[in-house]
Amino acid sequence: MKRILYIIPAAALILAGCSDSDPKSDTPDSGEEELSEEWYTGGKLGTTFNASASAYEDPTPAVEQMGLVDRFKYGEYFFERTYNQSTKPFNGLGPLYIRSSCIACHPGYGHGKRMERYRAGDWGNGYLLVVTDNTDTYISTLTGMPQTKAVAPFKAPIDEEQITISWLPYVDEWGNTFPDGETYSLIYPEVKIPKEAYYVPLQINGVDVPYENVVVRLESTIGIYGTGLLDAIDDADLKAQYALEEQYGARINPSIFAGGEWVKTYSTTGHPLRFTYALTRGPLQDAAGANAIWNITNVTRSDRRYHYMTEVYAQTAAADPEVQAQFYSYFPDWNITGDPATDIYNYLMNKELPAEMTDEDYVDFMVWHRGLAVPAARDLDNEDVQRGKTLFTEIGCATCHRPSWTTGDDVFTDPNGFFADGDSRLPRYPHQKIWPYTDLVQHRLEMKNDIRTGWCRTTPLWGRGLSQICAGHSDRLHDCRARNVIEAIMWHGASTSDARQSVENFRQLSKADRDAVVKFIDAI
Amino acid sequence: MKFLKYPLLAAAALMALTSCSGSDSTSDDPSSSTDTEATMKAIATQYLSSTVIPTYSNLADNAEELVEALKKVKANPTDANLQAACEVFLEARAWWEKSEAFLFGPANDFGIDPHIDTWPLDVDGLKSELNNASHIASMEADDADEWAGNKLGPELLGFHGIEYIIFADGQPKSVSSIPANELTYAIAVAGDLRNKCYQLEISWAGADNVAEERAEKIEDLEWPCTVSGSGVSYSENMLNAGQAGSSYRSWTDAMQGIVDGCIDIADEVGLQKIGKPHTGEDVNYIESPYSHKSITDFYDNMVSIYNAYMGGIDGKRNESLSLHAYMKSKDSDLDARCVTAINTAMSKISTMAAPFVLNYRDSSAADAMTACSNLVDVLTEVKQALAK
Repeated sequence: MKRILYIIPAAALILAGCSDSDPKSDTPDSGEEELSEEWYTGGKLGTTFNASASAYEDPTPAVEQMGLVDRFKYGEYFFERTYNQSTKPFNGLGPLYIRSSCIACHPGYGHGKRMERYRAGDWGNGYLLVVTDNTDTYISTLTGMPQTKAVAPFKAPIDEEQITISWLPYVDEWGNTFPDGETYSLIYPEVKIPKEAYYVPLQINGVDVPYENVVVRLESTIGIYGTGLLDAIDDADLKAQYALEEQYGARINPSIFAGGEWVKTYSTTGHPLRFTYALTRGPLQDAAGANAIWNITNVTRSDRRYHYMTEVYAQTAAADPEVQAQFYSYFPDWNITGDPATDIYNYLMNKELPAEMTDEDYVDFMVWHRGLAVPAARDLDNEDVQRGKTLFTEIGCATCHRPSWTTGDDVFTDPNGFFADGDSRLPRYPHQKIWPYTDLVQHRLEMKNDIRTGWCRTTPLWGRGLSQICAGHSDRLHDCRARNVIEAIMWHGASTSDARQSVENFRQLSKADRDAVVKFIDAI
Repeated sequence: MKFLKYPLLAAAALMALTSCSGSDSTSDDPSSSTDTEATMKAIATQYLSSTVIPTYSNLADNAEELVEALKKVKANPTDANLQAACEVFLEARAWWEKSEAFLFGPANDFGIDPHIDTWPLDVDGLKSELNNASHIASMEADDADEWAGNKLGPELLGFHGIEYIIFADGQPKSVSSIPANELTYAIAVAGDLRNKCYQLEISWAGADNVAEERAEKIEDLEWPCTVSGSGVSYSENMLNAGQAGSSYRSWTDAMQGIVDGCIDIADEVGLQKIGKPHTGEDVNYIESPYSHKSITDFYDNMVSIYNAYMGGIDGKRNESLSLHAYMKSKDSDLDARCVTAINTAMSKISTMAAPFVLNYRDSSAADAMTACSNLVDVLTEVKQALAK
């Protein structure tokens, strides 16, 4: 929600005040310089000095400076509120949907929560089901993000009540024990969806996939704040990061970058891929959020006047006698031919459906999305945190969790063409030094029941220390298997992991030093 | 709002005085950090025991009564019984609105706010449910409350679903106009609402400090009621501020958290609950349209802020252990402005042209918005002053 707060962090002031000179000799106009830039995690235009439960929800100073606060707050509605079938203004849910609201997956605007079961309605369940064959190819009769909910008379492609998540213990090669004897525990999810739970045939491009070859994984949401700032990083700087890592011999996903050049960019735009674990998305204006407000809820808008649905689903529903029997009573306006099978198919596959979300509401939503501030760093003056910072770099964490970037001109673009380049309706973040702690490149951690393909974009660490108070949990990693920072670090330690050396180094630290690294991660 | 730039010098000098002394409690500064922390702990204790917990306890009591009142209507459908149910509904509703200055904590962490207070109601979805014989049968079963909480989405749960069944055009309906299956639905949803209110009360007070049957109910449902499953209640978590394991890094953080809760609801009432219909002239954004109680809701939200700042709900208030008293001792001008801003917001809202659903374009709505906006600004200053 909420307002803008520019509370100067007390700790920074202590730092300033306790420095060698007499604090009373400071002058008012020198005040701004006293805060080092590292406190401004999202830069001067993108940081909120708020460490309360609403820290992930604030608008950036840029939003305020551009006079967009009201629009930001109207947009926030569409993130927070629950969609329904037909009561305005949050109408349009279905016919199939993954969740009925955005916040259901992003509790407190943060990372999803580890769940014991998969139910779309369980609060904090940020999981998407990833259903593939044993070569990591998506089952194409399901949408990439499969739905488990449907409005009457339709049936969900997957019956969620038959899905089970088992959390299994994992013992690493060190017996889950540090050299000094301290132990930790690791768990990972095993997801089962019985054959009967699928409403559609299991196929890839028309070819049946044997049920025993079907693999199910979980991918959780991450926090939304700061995505506008990541979008503001110049394409060329991102390319330079890839080139640098390639030059130093790091493994780079060959389907994305090789030989100093992009192998794949976003669609045909030439813009690099920078969002989602799988790096499926490029510029923010056509990335995960802009897409999700449509395909998670199936709420149409002027540039998405069709359902997020597979043709095989439409064929299956059209041929289902139970759906046929009830279709006209629920959708009387679609009784066009008198043949329910035809009308069901034509409704589901229609490409010119009326827009359920207005353009104005969508603009507000994107003001909000691009306008979310990053919480300022905390406790950076603390000795342990400073020690942790030194170690974070020394043991190699900072290699992939790159501390800072400087944004470009931020003449952002929208591959979807809804917004003009650098559209004045949206906030911009030019030339900001930001501290996301990610290189935005994919690496491999080689975990048990790993993420699809094994390639996972380095997740930003900024603001994560506030997850407990903002989101009510501290779960981490792509499927929330880590329940705290130590577990997250140790899941980086597989023998073939790209982060193996850092974890070996971490293991050799004293308990006090390990705790200092954790404290630093919680502070940034 | 303005782009606020706080002069760092004043703040830095203050911080240097109060904090560079570190653990040295013999500092020259009269308000040493130890004293301040003790004061803040006393304020938090009063806030929890006399604002948060009794508010949720009253809410749970009324939600419990609502279930019984609705069952009575079903067993004996008279207008008098329905009238009684409507009155209990409004009591419960008022306590919920009076809790909205502390939506942080379990209301947020366990998704209880959207679960019980989503609007608008999915009217078409409700029609489907009422026509679904097997669902109605489930809503008549002994575990109907649990079934509803699990199977109906937030767009069909909570206050506004019940409101739709028992109110129309600002009045209790005639009982003869309510079909039996609608009452079945209302009772099931009220049961789920009651359970969620138990969860709120227990999460703050701790399972040992509430009626045994409430604790048992939540245990049976296997619902979380402690901070991240740690076994620590939300009250204990706040009272452990500054200690390892607490989500409040310091007492200042805890106090700021209380003020943030107030800011959030003042902002929401002004900009969204009143502002969106008024400025957008869009009636669709109006909450509580069936009972015509939107303005009462807004007013009760301001009462929530008043109680949080002034040291308790009516009958339990102790102003000497309040943020009001603390701020008065630190900056009496700021405190006076804050009290005035709260009172002004209450008075501007209470004089809004009613009902809101028919008067949302009225200039009195703009006055209330301004009062809320001013309140946000003053509370923001209070939050900042707490860091000094």
